[in-house]
Amino acid sequence: MTEPQPHHDPLVRIECQWCKSQNEGTALTCRACGAPLDVKDMVSDSGWREAPRLRDMTEFQFGASACQVEGEIVPVAEINLGPGDSVFFEHHVLLWKDDSTRMSVLPMTGGVKRALAGMPFIISVAHGPGRIAFSRDATGELVVLPIHPGQELDVREHAFLVCSHTVDYTYVRIKGLRNILFGGQGMFMDRFIATQAQGILLLHGYGNVFQRNLKPGESILVEPGAFLYKDASVGMEVETIKLTSGFFGGTSMNLARMTGPGRVGIQSMYVHHTTE
Amino acid sequence: MTNLDSGSPLASAGASGRSYTCSWCGMASDGTALSCPACGAAVDVRSVVSRSGWAELPGRRDMAKLQFGNSYCQIEGTYVPVADMNLAANDWVYFSHHVLLWMDTQVKVSAMSLKGAWKRMLAGMPLIMTQAVGPGRIAFSRDAPGEMISLPLQPGQAVDVREHLFMVATGSVTYDWFQSNIWFTTKEGDEQETHYPLGMLLDRFQAPQYPGLLLLHASGNVFVRKLEPGQTILVKPTAFLFKDTSVRMQLHIERPAGTWRSWRSWGDRYLWIRLHGPGRVAVQSAYDKLEDNGRNIISHSGATTRQW
Repeated sequence: MTEPQPHHDPLVRIECQWCKSQNEGTALTCRACGAPLDVKDMVSDSGWREAPRLRDMTEFQFGASACQVEGEIVPVAEINLGPGDSVFFEHHVLLWKDDSTRMSVLPMTGGVKRALAGMPFIISVAHGPGRIAFSRDATGELVVLPIHPGQELDVREHAFLVCSHTVDYTYVRIKGLRNILFGGQGMFMDRFIATQAQGILLLHGYGNVFQRNLKPGESILVEPGAFLYKDASVGMEVETIKLTSGFFGGTSMNLARMTGPGRVGIQSMYVHHTTE
Repeated sequence: MTNLDSGSPLASAGASGRSYTCSWCGMASDGTALSCPACGAAVDVRSVVSRSGWAELPGRRDMAKLQFGNSYCQIEGTYVPVADMNLAANDWVYFSHHVLLWMDTQVKVSAMSLKGAWKRMLAGMPLIMTQAVGPGRIAFSRDAPGEMISLPLQPGQAVDVREHLFMVATGSVTYDWFQSNIWFTTKEGDEQETHYPLGMLLDRFQAPQYPGLLLLHASGNVFVRKLEPGQTILVKPTAFLFKDTSVRMQLHIERPAGTWRSWRSWGDRYLWIRLHGPGRVAVQSAYDKLEDNGRNIISHSGATTRQW
């Protein structure tokens, strides 16, 4: 005897709390970002939302392609590229690819500046059809960020794993000498812009990843090494707190003052920076 | 001074009539919450203890909350957990400034003076502790995958911790340190070098008058064992995490008999810490490489030795 199937209203939609995409009422994971839809949201009392813990082998779609996330400690993003689709990435995150997956180089401007800033000089592009997989070299979480038309996202250098070709890639110089010297993000941040079509951006955060939505004018102080991404609308300035105690004691703490409106993403295992 | 393993209930049970005593911290609660309010350990899971007697750190739910004073701490994440503290007005915590992850702009941060700056500088220990005063939120994490250990300290309790593992403590917990007295000196030619497998100094945290909370971060997994009086165990120095103050330590050296010099490059000797009960000891499963240049040991702190 078959069990009675629960009745589902075809008009019912579930909104993904992570990327705000609408999903069918029967969906267990978000079709756009892979976030589980049937588990409790993990939001701290202070307002930080944990990046969704993607189930092992979760699959989600973008364009004519599909991405499957494999493993949990150091997750792998395995992409089955559809014909006409492509993704771009820094070459050191490539884990494996089908022999038939065609590669090229993304045309970039400002190569010398990027090289001087320690940013990758060459960004690789993989073209479908074919499979290709990516991972990074540390325990952490894969953060899936669908970028809707008109959205701009700034990302810590070297934190981006892979991005769909519908997203424009450029970089922004972090303004101000103090930012460059003490900010901890280096001189440049990657900027991803979706102009006309929706795209998908995958980041790898060290440790656990948390996101907070700052209201206009709301500020928070963040360890610079923990900064992972932000909406372009979020301001970032370095603030120095001096700590002195007697003859021997003397140091200072450089923190990034992030001011809303917009999202801020941080990683709990931060890149360590020396202070003065 | 009492130790952490004192098993008596440390607070009265709630009015509900139910009673639960946390197997990790010994705090009694009414058992209606999913987590121990003092240390965040899950209340409805069995303790995981190996046949040899090592107990795993109790499971902790993501977003578990623990109370201290008028403030509370929420522990978030699993790979590299974050301690997110909501400090009430005039409650304060102290920490080494490199573990600060984020804070509200209204939290007041200043330096906390430490005695013995010269010794601490020689030992490579931080010269300054930072203190944060509420009201406001402040969060801490370390830069390695591992577990967060919450150690609620009742008045009179104390614990000894290996250097650089301390994350944050509440203002009611005093911080002191002492010489580890675990060392050995090697010599080759005219060159002598003194090594401290546990570090030159050990941290001691104590709650003299009021209850307090101490948070440590360990790399990998954490295992705790209770040694009976007179019982000893050998532990890799860099895996050692913390111990009750009643546990004594000494160096232990083992090596194969009749080895010759060329074997030293293979690491022909084992350097251990011998821990003597009674009391609890804790180790971490991911540890740093022990620095040993393999040269002749010409002197060492009190030690036991064994040749195979």
